[in-house]
Amino acid sequence: MDNLTARQIATIAATFAVAILLGVMPTPGYAALLRPDWVAIVLVYWCIAIPDRIGIGIAWLIGLLLDGLYGSLLGEQALAKAFLAYLALRFYLRLRIFPRWQQAVAIGLLIAASDVVVLMTKSLVHGNTPIWGDTVPMMINVVLWPFLFPLLREVRRRAKIS
Amino acid sequence: MGTFLGWSITRPSNFAKFAVLAVASVALIIADARHRHVAIAVDGAMARIAYPLQVLAAWPATTVEGVWHDMRTNTRLRHENDRLTRDNRLLQAAVTRLGALSAEVQRLRKILKAPPLPGYRETLAGILGVSSGPFTRELTLDEGRPQHVYVGQPVIDAHGIVGQIIKVGPDTSRVMLVTDPNSGVPVVSQRNGLRAIVFGTGSLRRLKVPYLPMTADIRAGDILVSSGLGGVFPAGYPVAKVERVISDPNEAFLTVTARPLAQLNHHTDVVLLWPLSRTARTHHG
Repeated sequence: MDNLTARQIATIAATFAVAILLGVMPTPGYAALLRPDWVAIVLVYWCIAIPDRIGIGIAWLIGLLLDGLYGSLLGEQALAKAFLAYLALRFYLRLRIFPRWQQAVAIGLLIAASDVVVLMTKSLVHGNTPIWGDTVPMMINVVLWPFLFPLLREVRRRAKIS
Repeated sequence: MGTFLGWSITRPSNFAKFAVLAVASVALIIADARHRHVAIAVDGAMARIAYPLQVLAAWPATTVEGVWHDMRTNTRLRHENDRLTRDNRLLQAAVTRLGALSAEVQRLRKILKAPPLPGYRETLAGILGVSSGPFTRELTLDEGRPQHVYVGQPVIDAHGIVGQIIKVGPDTSRVMLVTDPNSGVPVVSQRNGLRAIVFGTGSLRRLKVPYLPMTADIRAGDILVSSGLGGVFPAGYPVAKVERVISDPNEAFLTVTARPLAQLNHHTDVVLLWPLSRTARTHHG
């Protein structure tokens, strides 16, 4: 429970930077609609792994940066990411002991819940009607988690973050 | 000390933190949606931070595409070269004969050379990003305020109307596609001049044409071109092709779906239009 070293903070920041880059990287045509929410996955991972370091405040700031990048309504992603971090912190002890696939489904549901916040804001402010295609990235999040979890855990162990 | 209404201030609970930040988010959302000028400073700063990230993110895609393109071009060029050397001998002969005609063709071409859309100045703009976030389908262009891009500016491609500019940043601008649920384009049917408005549905492949009476003469295959009535889009440019017309006696209007003619999935460049009247205004005061 010592304070994180600069190196460790840089490691965490780097994982977020990669996730954000993957999130805004232009992809051809329909691949853009299949894009998982990389930032949400990385955020949930750190919330579960070091809940007393990465929490709601950082999630909110990252969400605000995303709003700038996506050009979405300022505060839209911030609200969703803060909500996601809140949910992750609420359930982190349970999530840690779940078997991998159950964990994936549970975290997929948390991210979907935060996506619903985004969709609700959009439909409230712009009157956009959600379409079925919007659920595809939510399912891809679930499929991706079992592969990203070991990767992020490896990063965390090498940086000796605990 | 250190508490407010029984809540700890020095070590707030997660719920308290979330509650405060949620209120802050909602305040920002309202500020952004209602009072653009309040949020615009924050937004501009965010866009400045975001621009290098966007360029960095676009880099691998452009590089891979470039390398792939080069490799394909190389093989193709070698085959082509063989064929062309053969053809060249034949054509040399023809050229001598056609030399006289060429002068005349050049004179005629000058007469014919009119701008594709009279009354408009055009610029090619590159596309930085296709969908600018989850659940949105917008284009991000690499032209911004310095290039005099303005909100409400029409964007087209070689096949039809792409959309209009909705946000102009320091280095980038965002395009609302015609398929956006918020987009409406006034059109006329090319076949018979029937007036209608084309709305987006959120899907890149489908548009809808609501509020057409049961007796309206519209059928699958009709080309809808912009009427220019809204003052945003140039008149007479293609927008959509009618795909299906359903006449349900239980409904008040026809259910008409159409397909956008612009190639919304395959863009690398689009064309920005400036009405000449507006250009004159910006340059002379």
